[in-house]
Amino acid sequence: MIKEPGLDARPKKIIADNKKREQKFNFCKAVLLDIFLVFYSLIVIQRAIYYKFILDIRDIPFAWSQIWIVLFISIIIGSLWAFTKTSLSCNLFGVAKDCKTTKLTTEIFGWVLFDITFIAGWIVTKISIVDLFSKDGIEGAQRIFGALFQPEMSIFDDVVFATIETIYLALIATLISIPFTLIISFFTARNLMKDNKISFAIYYILRIVLNFVRSIEPVIWAIIFSVWVGIGPYAGMIALLVHSIASNAKLYSEAIEGIEDGPVEAITATGANKIQVVWYGVVPQIILPFLSFTIYRWDINVRMATVIGLVGGGGIGTMLMQYQGLAKWHEVGLIVLVIAFVVWVMDYISAKIREAIY
Amino acid sequence: MTLLRIQNLHKIYKNGTHALKGVSFEVEEGEFLVIIGLSGSGKSTLLRCVNRLIEPTTGTIEFLGKDITHIKGEELRSVKKQIGMVFQQFNLIKRRSVLSNVIVGRLGSMKTLDSIFERFPDSIYDEAKKCLETVGIEEKADVRADSLSGGQQQRVAIARSLMQNPKLLLADEPVASLDPATSNSVMQYFEKINKELGTTVVCNLHFLSLVRRYATRVIALKAGEIVYQGNPLEIDEDWFKTIYGDEAEEVEIR
Repeated sequence: MIKEPGLDARPKKIIADNKKREQKFNFCKAVLLDIFLVFYSLIVIQRAIYYKFILDIRDIPFAWSQIWIVLFISIIIGSLWAFTKTSLSCNLFGVAKDCKTTKLTTEIFGWVLFDITFIAGWIVTKISIVDLFSKDGIEGAQRIFGALFQPEMSIFDDVVFATIETIYLALIATLISIPFTLIISFFTARNLMKDNKISFAIYYILRIVLNFVRSIEPVIWAIIFSVWVGIGPYAGMIALLVHSIASNAKLYSEAIEGIEDGPVEAITATGANKIQVVWYGVVPQIILPFLSFTIYRWDINVRMATVIGLVGGGGIGTMLMQYQGLAKWHEVGLIVLVIAFVVWVMDYISAKIREAIY
Repeated sequence: MTLLRIQNLHKIYKNGTHALKGVSFEVEEGEFLVIIGLSGSGKSTLLRCVNRLIEPTTGTIEFLGKDITHIKGEELRSVKKQIGMVFQQFNLIKRRSVLSNVIVGRLGSMKTLDSIFERFPDSIYDEAKKCLETVGIEEKADVRADSLSGGQQQRVAIARSLMQNPKLLLADEPVASLDPATSNSVMQYFEKINKELGTTVVCNLHFLSLVRRYATRVIALKAGEIVYQGNPLEIDEDWFKTIYGDEAEEVEIR
């Protein structure tokens, strides 16, 4: 008893349509990338290599009209480029047909782009061997290093108390961040949010916001909050809190994205609702990674708290900045030693705890 | 009575794979239907389309005379509640006890808050224990699920699906990661459920010896199409080669 395989036309058409649409979309992307690559090379060659290096101008003249002209040229060259066999982006997006010319030109243009970037980077950084080995410079370095290794012990009590303040500040920031991070991380996990359009929009917006918050360094948050709530440990704590939430939410949600799908599928199959699936299928799998990330974050926060102190976030960092401002290098030496010791101990403890958990 | 009717079912994955190419068949109540075929022939996709873990591309699926191909939300969940499923990898919650894994089978009929705070009525515990008795591991109720052996874990998974009082039990290669002896004992529990509780079973299997012993009817899939439908005992050498390719040879497991 055989059933004749009845293939109707629709599924085949769906496949063909999908393929065509993807090809078109990829070609559009390739054209845009080609334009960008040409634009990038022209701008870098003109500004970094021509003006700065060949003409050696200190203040490079800036005019929008120039930029527009370069952009116009690169749009023309780039879009023409995309139609030739030599296009780099067509190869990258898999639009180009497999042939020798494309492979060769991809290699060549890849190297050209890399070289331009490297040379421009070298010029912009002002790398100079002479400065590193100048006589004055080395003498200054010797003076400071000498002082750092003869720490002034009379301020030991104050340093210890400031350090404890820093540790507590980091701890509170970490603890308060936990509930916020937990809630946010579920909404920024792709595998939980991709099913319908509204939840995917929420996922997308939250991701952008978190990326933005995370890209601002805690030091800058500390400056903002020291204006907002006044200089001191409180401002430092909020700065760390904000950064902890944004960073840990990413780690947490990645842990959620990395779970085994099996239990989730099995529980979905029983007819459980979304919240039940998350609670029974997802949560048991992520408790340990969450705990581990949180302990690690405390460790990171202690290190960051010292840096934040430099801009008025309280604790040991503020103290370090005060003595450094007065050029009292022996006191600074003691503070640096204590910080190094605390960071080492925290690192050790948090590693041990995380090992014990798993 | 016809429990499940599938007509001209197609599934095309996003990457372009055409996994099912117009599959049509019916499942009568009380049957033990086994689906065979090579890996990648579309067996798992077919089972997952039945309880809508995967969205079929075109075609219709009727369950108990009702079209369930495109239902959503609450309606879909109520259909899922009536269809149990057992997986190759058992898919238990590893860190929880066996008993709470079995209770998971009943989540669909519980209020969300009650299930989160685990406020289960006593009757549920009794039922869960009864389900564990059916598969013969009631003494392991309080053990962590990941401390059990493979065969025991699969029995817990069966107990979990029994908790749903399913009309239809789907099994996706339930014995593929077990040794031959354990495979047989796990299959016996499926037979028991099929015969004693009258639950219809649709099962993916690899080994023909198991198929001949347990199936009442066989469907063979090849590259997403049905190539054989009928009595398991009638699969001879020629059919075997048609289904599994000319290179294949039957291996006997005992």
